[in-house]
Amino acid sequence: MSTPEIDSGSTDEATPGAPPTGNSFLGDVRVNFTRWNRKAIHNPTAFLLEIVIGLFSLVLFAAVFGDVGEFALAEAGYGGVDYVTYLLPAVLMQATIGSSFNSGIGLVDDLQTGMFEKTTVAPMSWTAVFAGKAASELLRIVLQVSAVLALAVAMGATIETGLPGAVGIVAVCLPIGVLFMAVSNVVGMLARDDEVLNAATMLFMFPLLFLSPAFIPMSGDIEALATVNPVTYGVDAVRALVLGEDVMTVLDVTAFGGVWNTLVPALAVLVALDVLVGAFAVWLLGRASSADAE
Amino acid sequence: MTDTSSRTGVTDSTGGADPTTRTDSTADRDRSVAVEGLELTYSDGTRAVDGVSLAIDCGEFFGFLGPNGAGKTTTIKVLATLLNPTDGTVAVNGYDVSDRRRAVRATVGYMAQETAIDEELTARENLDFACAAYGVSRDRRADRIDELLDLVDLADVADKPAGGFSGGMKKRLDAATALVHDPQLVFLDEPTTGLDPKARNRLWDYFRRINDDGTTVFLTTQYLEEADALCDRLAVIRDGEIVERGSPAELKRRVGGEILKVDVGGVDDGHDTDDSAVSDPVATAAEVARTPEQFGEDATVETTDDGVRVTTRRASERGTDFVVALREAGVAVERFDVEEPSLDDVFLAIADGETPDLDAADDESTDDERADGSSDDESADDSTDPVESTEVTA
Repeated sequence: MSTPEIDSGSTDEATPGAPPTGNSFLGDVRVNFTRWNRKAIHNPTAFLLEIVIGLFSLVLFAAVFGDVGEFALAEAGYGGVDYVTYLLPAVLMQATIGSSFNSGIGLVDDLQTGMFEKTTVAPMSWTAVFAGKAASELLRIVLQVSAVLALAVAMGATIETGLPGAVGIVAVCLPIGVLFMAVSNVVGMLARDDEVLNAATMLFMFPLLFLSPAFIPMSGDIEALATVNPVTYGVDAVRALVLGEDVMTVLDVTAFGGVWNTLVPALAVLVALDVLVGAFAVWLLGRASSADAE
Repeated sequence: MTDTSSRTGVTDSTGGADPTTRTDSTADRDRSVAVEGLELTYSDGTRAVDGVSLAIDCGEFFGFLGPNGAGKTTTIKVLATLLNPTDGTVAVNGYDVSDRRRAVRATVGYMAQETAIDEELTARENLDFACAAYGVSRDRRADRIDELLDLVDLADVADKPAGGFSGGMKKRLDAATALVHDPQLVFLDEPTTGLDPKARNRLWDYFRRINDDGTTVFLTTQYLEEADALCDRLAVIRDGEIVERGSPAELKRRVGGEILKVDVGGVDDGHDTDDSAVSDPVATAAEVARTPEQFGEDATVETTDDGVRVTTRRASERGTDFVVALREAGVAVERFDVEEPSLDDVFLAIADGETPDLDAADDESTDDERADGSSDDESADDSTDPVESTEVTA
């Protein structure tokens, strides 16, 4: 794996004038951030669809599971919680995961169209290339989650922690986004195929959502699986902020008090996973950008 | 370009001892590309490039010619820093491709074989991204983009998404993005593959223009017509090794020989005049052509409806004597024509693995070779010295 090289244009160069080296690292990040934003603006369907699907799920699940859901909520000790409010974390996770898989699709497109090679051969640090792309994708997740959240509130969901909580909810979606962006890049790099990635989105999204307390409080049977499911931590963290209380389902932490008993361990688990899976994705991307003959 | 031209004709496997091929730091500065003994082996053991050496001067239009799978793209990827050489030294614009990768990248343009543009962006946005990626300063960017859009005739569609462009337009946009930073050297990997003749001609014009403006061009192609039309100098690669070097004209002369066509009088009874003294002038002409003192043993003589067709390396040299000999034999000459072989003949000969038979020495170049101070013996059988006979002093 090659490391990102920042060629400083060493002083002993005999050719007149320092060799051109392009932009600064942050300049390279911005160049790529701009490119991916422009692409999204020209092609807004995928962006808007993620919001529509989120709302559609909210309406659909509330209609189908509404009464059963509220019965289950009462059973599980969530008495008085509206089912739409309970569902909110599920649709936010769904929108986040769905959106983050576009990262891998963008990568596969670039690999197939030669844009990957074209950006590799430019005098840019490859880490900046991917950082700029990821920043654009995270911005989209922030906008999509905010839109779904706002529309859900308009439909009757309540956020007990108010506006600061709403900002927190959007922030909590980011480590989930980073995790699945990394997963989709790994899948994309290995499969190099759009259709595989689309299938993988479904393969990851629905089992992980259903094997978590996303739609309905969990029975004991799936709790062991839910403990090793990253989506559980995202759902719990978002729900803690929606309800304003400690709702952590799979871990029992009492050291921080209130919602922090959920947020701190959940975020710790997610950030650790981000680092782990992210490092693997970055390693794969770096290998693809390197000049080692394979 | 005296130092490089002396190695131009030397096939690599035999010409390695030529002292002028040494790249030193002084020479590197005038050279766009200096490659010594490049080898590239893929991890599956395939040796795609096997001992290639190249020296390309600033401002040259250099052609790299060869069949599919010969190693052209692999070589160009090494030069463009996309592949690390397994062995050998490779300097581009004076920078080592492994140690000074970023400096190489900043000073070259690279146009890949497959068109690489972002189809979701407009032509202008594609160029803007390329400008930004190559660090073209913000205040210069708008002008540069307009210049390039004009150069490749895409100004009218500048703000349309590139996905709707024709193949030729996409190629031109791709070529323009490779030039945003006024690179000293541009790599074009089979740039016209799949284009119709009109689109191809426009792209050619465009390549000529950038070369006229001082950019060194390194072009790979399978189209001999393209190499012939554009390149100052060619290297032909086969199975990872360079098998021929020279200008298009030199390669053609060396491989194919020339074709001499002579139409004789007295063939058609209808307008037979008294200028023919023999009963069958075509047969007589062929007989004269086949005498060894005319074109030597290696010439091919065919008869046509109107006369004879002789394929030979000595057409220009022997032509007039042949006409005189025909006249002496009583054959009237109506037409006399010398044709160069096409570069396709060269290519086919090389692609078939039949390294051109070089032992028939070019008589006209012999004196130059001797004057060149060659260290080779001036042996009597100069016809068996392939290296010497291919030496070209342009």
